[in-house]
Amino acid sequence: MPQCLTKYFSTMEYSEDGVISVPDGLPGFDDEHEFVLIDQEAKRPLVFVQSLATPGLCFIALPARSVEPEYKLAVAPPDLALLELDSAQPEIGRDVLCLAFVAITPEGEISANLLSPLVINYQKRVAVQAIQTNSNYSHRHPVLAGEAEPVCS
Amino acid sequence: MLVVRRRQGESVVIGDDVEVVILEAGPNRVKLGIMAPRDVLVFRKELELTSQQNRAAAHADTESVSRILRHVGRALPSAP
Repeated sequence: MPQCLTKYFSTMEYSEDGVISVPDGLPGFDDEHEFVLIDQEAKRPLVFVQSLATPGLCFIALPARSVEPEYKLAVAPPDLALLELDSAQPEIGRDVLCLAFVAITPEGEISANLLSPLVINYQKRVAVQAIQTNSNYSHRHPVLAGEAEPVCS
Repeated sequence: MLVVRRRQGESVVIGDDVEVVILEAGPNRVKLGIMAPRDVLVFRKELELTSQQNRAAAHADTESVSRILRHVGRALPSAP
């Protein structure tokens, strides 16, 4: 199995089938097109989104619905096409994984980006950061202590 | 903040060489045309916020991982 150097877990083996392609890159990281998801029992509910090209780039993520159980995803038509999904809105947990990147604000608060979740079509191994233009979800949604519920991603 | 009322087809000019035209105005959304020199960057705000937030998220380190885990409650049963 191929190996990659990671930010948090030193060198890891990964399966080529597990490589997630991000054709558009991520805003701010436009040249990053390949990631692997690291889901370790001991670190749940966190999911790590590790760049294959840049060992020092790894996003810490939480399933959007573990932060906001009623989270409603609306994927714009160009993003649906990119995800190789038909025109129907994907269902979280069935069609796609929906992960919110976690950041610590300058004030030290832990927040999740519900404005632009990473939406992953796991069957096709393709993902896009789907900006929720017509919602009021925040790019710095506060993650309340102890409130990340275990749910399907 | 400067507030200006404009109708469809009207525009505002910002500085010497930026013009924003109201192309269409609906009840919930407007379509803008922006004329600006190439060196003036124009973004949808949510894209810029996403970019900033991605950079902030990428700054995390091992200590951040422990803090976040403690915060969300490591004792939770694992997600299916």
